[in-house]
Amino acid sequence: MQIVEIILSPLLALVVGVFFLGLARKVMARIHWRYGPPLIQPVIDMIRLFYQKSVSHGRMFDVGIILSLAGSIVVILFLPFGWICPLRNSGGLLVILYVMLIAPLGIALSGGQGANPNISIGISRKLILSLGYEVPFVLVLLAVMTHYKTISIVEVVSAQQSARWSVLSLALFLPGLSYFLVLPAMLGIRPFDMASAAQEISSGPMVEYGGKYLALAMIEHAFVLFINIALFVNLFLGGAVNPATFFLKMLAVFLLGLFVHAAFPRFRVEQAVKYLWKWPTLLAFVGLIIALVTRS
Amino acid sequence: MRRMVIARKIRVNELLKKELGSIFKDLVVTESEAGRVTLIAKQEQVLAVLRFLKDRGFDHLALLSAVDWIQEKEFELVYILTRYVQDGDDLSGDGGLHIIVKTRIPRENPKFETTIGIFPNAEPYEREIHELFGIDFDGHPRLTPLFLERKYAVPPFRKDFDTREYVREVFDKIPFVGDTDK
Amino acid sequence: MDRNQITKWFKDPAKMANKYSLHAIYFCTGCGIIEVPPVITSRWDAERFGVIPVATPRQANLFLITGYVSVKTLRAIIRTYEQMYEPKFTVGFGSCPVNGGMYWDSYNTIKHLDKYIPIDGWIAGCMPRPEAIFVAVTHLWTLIDKGMANGYIRYRENYEAYRRNQEMALGKLEWPPLYAPDGNREEDTRE
Repeated sequence: MQIVEIILSPLLALVVGVFFLGLARKVMARIHWRYGPPLIQPVIDMIRLFYQKSVSHGRMFDVGIILSLAGSIVVILFLPFGWICPLRNSGGLLVILYVMLIAPLGIALSGGQGANPNISIGISRKLILSLGYEVPFVLVLLAVMTHYKTISIVEVVSAQQSARWSVLSLALFLPGLSYFLVLPAMLGIRPFDMASAAQEISSGPMVEYGGKYLALAMIEHAFVLFINIALFVNLFLGGAVNPATFFLKMLAVFLLGLFVHAAFPRFRVEQAVKYLWKWPTLLAFVGLIIALVTRS
Repeated sequence: MRRMVIARKIRVNELLKKELGSIFKDLVVTESEAGRVTLIAKQEQVLAVLRFLKDRGFDHLALLSAVDWIQEKEFELVYILTRYVQDGDDLSGDGGLHIIVKTRIPRENPKFETTIGIFPNAEPYEREIHELFGIDFDGHPRLTPLFLERKYAVPPFRKDFDTREYVREVFDKIPFVGDTDK
Repeated sequence: MDRNQITKWFKDPAKMANKYSLHAIYFCTGCGIIEVPPVITSRWDAERFGVIPVATPRQANLFLITGYVSVKTLRAIIRTYEQMYEPKFTVGFGSCPVNGGMYWDSYNTIKHLDKYIPIDGWIAGCMPRPEAIFVAVTHLWTLIDKGMANGYIRYRENYEAYRRNQEMALGKLEWPPLYAPDGNREEDTRE
């Protein structure tokens, strides 16, 4: 049974992630008062990209994107999607905290052989940005782990199912708010999309990706969307036992993120870090203290 | 309001004509419309006139270009000066003042002195004129090509450069590739 | 548009996907680029056709050459075209790539772009209206359906002739030949 879950979980994440990619383009188009591409446009793009004859820059270039994908798939195995959670008893939040960093490092590895300065600029922006959001993110996770006295996400979800959503409880309201404020930075949407800025640095790390590498990078982007939103829903919005309810909650959070993406311009990376280390960190820190104090 | 502006500009033109006439001899000063004064200077006078005008307040060289008078066998260099909008002195007239300084140089082995000492922003203009007309500027630090990539026997902006012949020789001789009717 | 006919997708997914996912490299050649921003934004929405601009030639498969091509621009166009991955399509937009257009007797522009890189289709006009880009895209679909949009195959097969023409126009080329001179034409010689 577990092997079925191990295969099913990343596949479901892929379907949900690719659907989110298509939905993003459609919703953004409608916000711009135009029609948009059909919802399956990312699938069409990926099919076309897989049929293009791409040229590799070297062995590390191939390995990097595969490593990034592998890191994301490993994180997905630890995230519950409804009742589907392949690795439920192994590490939970602590593992996710450090395996989530493999994704940008994989792209940095392939960028090392890409020999394009835009890649270095994009990767440095991405890593500085992750330095920015990791600080409040760690404080938020510490608050959650302190309040529920566990590192397993499945236990956090079931505790919320029996009581109420975390974000509505006294101890975890501020960490929930803080996590929502750093969620755009983790997803890489405006105002924090400076890592892959198309207009400034020619798509940053993806400037030398084409053909099958770009298709894999799109899949990686879909996984990143899924991981971050699913983690937020699991920790603060109650998770769900039914995957359909879980998907609806993810959809609601994603649409809110899209509205933020549509309305904001792009920050510079030092403005982003200044923002991320100010209010979200402060709120998460106060929430952590409240969680410690109210721990019974 | 418009009548006030024109009156002010005409007063300015008279002022300038008097000043220039008193300092430089043999300077032809005409005015084409209110606010635009044309000076036709001799080759030796040009730098002195430019320096005088810059000290007088016309500190912006808007354009430096050249005209090819092929039948008179002369090139004409045209300097267009203007001033940034300032209030309060006797030349303030809504900023719409232009002074055009023209000079003729012979068409055989054309050379002139550079005006970088007075207006440093003349450097790309002189480079362009050197590339396209073939006029040499003494004292210019780098007269290297600015826009063009090729060498031309006759500089392209001169009136004896046959463009149709050049295109026929250089570009039309390159053959089409294979069967392009697909 | 036959994008929603599922049977065609199963019969030939490569052809259908190349048709409905034309990513255009955002290379602003000449004056015609002013017609492109209204096309890709809300006024005439090109994203419904699957056409979006991308920032790098590696991710693109459509090259719109939108205006006059001076000798310096030709150098950049050839380098960009050779960096795109196959299959790729080029469209000459405006009358300047066709036969020189308004600059037919200019000392510094090239007159027939087809001598230097292969062009799949032309749009005449000076400038064509933005709707003409949609006409070009739909005509390109028809050409891809019939298998006639094979400019990149022509480039590969006649590479010596193209390179000779490029050297006649540009002088010495700083980049090595893209395909090996004899024998193996399947691989690019450089990345």
